[in-house]
Amino acid sequence: MTEIVCKTGVDLLMDYLEGLMPDEMRAKLDSHVAGCDRCSAFVASYLATPRILRDATAASMPRELQRSLLEVLRTERGDGPQKE
Amino acid sequence: MAVPEEATDEALASRAALGDNLAFDEIAIRYQTRVYRLACRMVGPDEAPDVVQEGFLSVYRSLASFRHEARFATWLYRIVTNAALMHLRARTRRPAESLETFLPEFDADGRHHQTPAELQVAARADELLDRRHLAEKATAALDRLPDLYRSAFVLRDLEELTTAEVADVLGVEPATVRQRVHRARLMLRGYLGALAGVKR
Repeated sequence: MTEIVCKTGVDLLMDYLEGLMPDEMRAKLDSHVAGCDRCSAFVASYLATPRILRDATAASMPRELQRSLLEVLRTERGDGPQKE
Repeated sequence: MAVPEEATDEALASRAALGDNLAFDEIAIRYQTRVYRLACRMVGPDEAPDVVQEGFLSVYRSLASFRHEARFATWLYRIVTNAALMHLRARTRRPAESLETFLPEFDADGRHHQTPAELQVAARADELLDRRHLAEKATAALDRLPDLYRSAFVLRDLEELTTAEVADVLGVEPATVRQRVHRARLMLRGYLGALAGVKR
């Protein structure tokens, strides 16, 4: 079976996280990461990346755009602008 | 007609398809924030309003074709994502610099080239960087991802759809989604590290 080094660990990480890896390979990967400071640090930053990007790009929809969207939809349907 | 608060998306879509305008307004109100956020992440804030408008108009015009085989949310995401991808394809300007340079590097033995301290910096990018600066750079980084990676990463990791749902939205196999998302995560992880001070 494939010997785990950092590079193979990175290549296999997605399958590991999605639960698609055979138990034996999973155990090997766990063992490598537990004993490798570099892989432990890498995995921590890999897992943090989606959260950081998600938080940093969590835009709020401007109220004016909310209003104009409903107006566009009403115009499309032919029921015209809604009076405030 | 009054729209019950507990109406499911699918029930609202059925009513809207039969001409219940309030039902479609409810769909728009329910999804507008998510659709706007998706659009911003896919095409950036300048083009997002156009994608939102085009996406909802397309959803409205296509209601009759919603077959209830997929969740309404997945169907809506597919339409809005396609609207965003059309905007991306219409662009003549392309990112000057790929994020490929931020992929992890290994020595001849397959060992990480960077030190543990350097490898973990990306995990603290949100602590180390000014929030506004990080927001600007994050948006710019998404813009530098290849379109195929960008759509998979945005849907899977930012909009938090499942891999199967992303595969359905993009019309590809789950294995393809996993490969694209993984590649995007690797590039963005390296980019965050560099942004937070790791030299390459």
